Amino acid sequence: MREIKLKNIKKIFNGEVILDNLNLTIPSGEFFALLGPSGSGKTTLLRLIAGFEKADSGHIYLGDKEITNLPINERRVNTVFQNYALFPHFNVFDNVAYSLKLKKVKKDIIEQKVINVLKKVHLEKYIYKDINQLSGGQQQRVALARAVINEPDVLLLDEPLAALDLKLREKMLVELIDLQEVLKTTFVYVTHDQFEALTVADRMAIMNYDGEIEQVGTPKEIYEFPRSAFVARFVGSTNIFKGILRIEPEKSYLDIKGLGSFEVVVPKDKAWAFDGAIVLMSMRPEKIEISKKKLEGFSNCLEGEVDSIVYHGRSTQYHVELKNGKIIHVFEQNEEHFPQEVIDYDEKVYMYWQKENVVLLEK
Amino acid sequence: MRNNSFKSSRAQEYDFAVALPAVLWQILFLYVPLCFIIYISFIKAIDFFIFKNITLANYKALFNPIYFSIIIRSIFLAFFNALFCLFLGYPVAYFLALRAKRFKNMLLFLLILPFWTNFLVQAYAWFFILDYHGFLNKVLLKIGIISTPLHILNTPWAIYIVMLFCYLPFMVLPIYSSMTKINKYILEASSDLGATNWQTLGYVTLPLSLSGIRTGFFLVLIPSFGEFVIPALLGGGKIMYVGSMISYFFLETKNVFLGSAFTVLSGACLIAIALLIYLVFRKLSKPSGFTGATGPSIKTNNSAKLSQGNK
Repeated sequence: MREIKLKNIKKIFNGEVILDNLNLTIPSGEFFALLGPSGSGKTTLLRLIAGFEKADSGHIYLGDKEITNLPINERRVNTVFQNYALFPHFNVFDNVAYSLKLKKVKKDIIEQKVINVLKKVHLEKYIYKDINQLSGGQQQRVALARAVINEPDVLLLDEPLAALDLKLREKMLVELIDLQEVLKTTFVYVTHDQFEALTVADRMAIMNYDGEIEQVGTPKEIYEFPRSAFVARFVGSTNIFKGILRIEPEKSYLDIKGLGSFEVVVPKDKAWAFDGAIVLMSMRPEKIEISKKKLEGFSNCLEGEVDSIVYHGRSTQYHVELKNGKIIHVFEQNEEHFPQEVIDYDEKVYMYWQKENVVLLEK
Repeated sequence: MRNNSFKSSRAQEYDFAVALPAVLWQILFLYVPLCFIIYISFIKAIDFFIFKNITLANYKALFNPIYFSIIIRSIFLAFFNALFCLFLGYPVAYFLALRAKRFKNMLLFLLILPFWTNFLVQAYAWFFILDYHGFLNKVLLKIGIISTPLHILNTPWAIYIVMLFCYLPFMVLPIYSSMTKINKYILEASSDLGATNWQTLGYVTLPLSLSGIRTGFFLVLIPSFGEFVIPALLGGGKIMYVGSMISYFFLETKNVFLGSAFTVLSGACLIAIALLIYLVFRKLSKPSGFTGATGPSIKTNNSAKLSQGNK
């Protein structure tokens, strides 16, 4: 188990710069997610680590060893492909045993190892089945078993669950987490699905449309303390306000045109957070308390009119129109044993939040 | 559902109607004449549909080492032509399908360019190349590989060389087509799991392009067996092959009875050889893993299939 270091990576496809001067360290033994929208270059990054693509400049290290120009088959890195890429002419056993057979490992050892790894992915019953007799989820497990049997330093997963239905995907996510805990191999998981990334990752990196890494951190850090508006919008949903920062000795405020002043906590050591600066405020919909009544104990309050209500079962989403015409989103948990007041369309409501529950971002 | 099946049965009727002219054409101009030839091969004088004078005399007359050596020579030519086409064509198809990126379409165009010229013209063009004072000898002399020009024209060498080049596209195209169907991620997975390029070729690319190899092999083998023009023109007509023998019977000696018998006999030999090669291909394409997969795996695989079938 060794960490991966990417230094000043540049990759150009057909004259288009996909990755430019990218630096990233993926710690050893962690479940690391690379999250980004389609076209952000996250798959390219994965393919560079695997060796399927060559970087135009920059260096890739696995532990202390530079692997920038190492051939694919000599890297101690294995990949789980999005479409599984199983060998259609082999059965499950031969697919999983492939890397060991190439190494000329003894037959009885191969058999033992294949059975062991198939047990880990709950496929021991299907050992001699043909690939096309398996379901999508089972094929995914074969691909997983095939990739981990050789005990790679790093396992790369390229949107491995994209082709599965939601229920199966949730189940496989849990199994992936368990598998990673057993194997202790570094997992690098590429996805555009923030739910998957938040679920599996010990640590994650968010990439933007320009192939730049916006932020690296634990899922909680990323969600609670996004460092840019892009991250705040991409991971989870949020309400973004633009305003002018007013720093006073006791308290600080954000003046939002047409809405008023709101108390905020100014982040320390940020050059952009000065008195009079134009900044953004990110407010998660679930951090807002919505009510028709006047409530005490909140540092901020906004009033508006309910525009639409979306009932999700577990929660209800309100779209509320503010004085300046802007619509904000509010999530409320539906707790039946605490009877809630009934809020209806076009009713006047108040929204409350604590100053610690919003994040100020650079414009 | 009902609507669907209604549609599909209508579509089937329609399909049949569309196929009918082609089927009739085949029956009229292929199967009927074939039946005539088989019938004529068993008679001694023209007595259509009397079925009185059925005899094996024609076949007895063919029971001569000369005729058998001609058939064997043709089988030899057909088999080795197909084999050489495979050895030369496989790398071409591999390059076109998996390596060539920018010039792929142009190279494919160049490959099928010979089809735009008449086959006879192609064959004649080779005269200028293989002639005693021809292009090939000049080049070889210039490089210094030979000191006196080679006699290639009117020898089996000329036949094999020209056959190889004329039939090459028939081998390359099916293999190319089967290779383009291989998912590129499967090849990447193979290298990812530690295979060298040669190992990937042997364990993944080759087995997955076997259907193309088989198609190409038969596309070359079968017409090569009856090839008439190339041996006649470039072999100088001195060496007899099945095609030249048949034309000799029908056109020179006008002995349609012996000619028919020889046609049927050589056809039977071709079918036998083709069947044998087909069986070899089927054995090769058995999904039994690779590098002689472990014994039990094959057995259990079969039993698993059986139990699947019993359900």
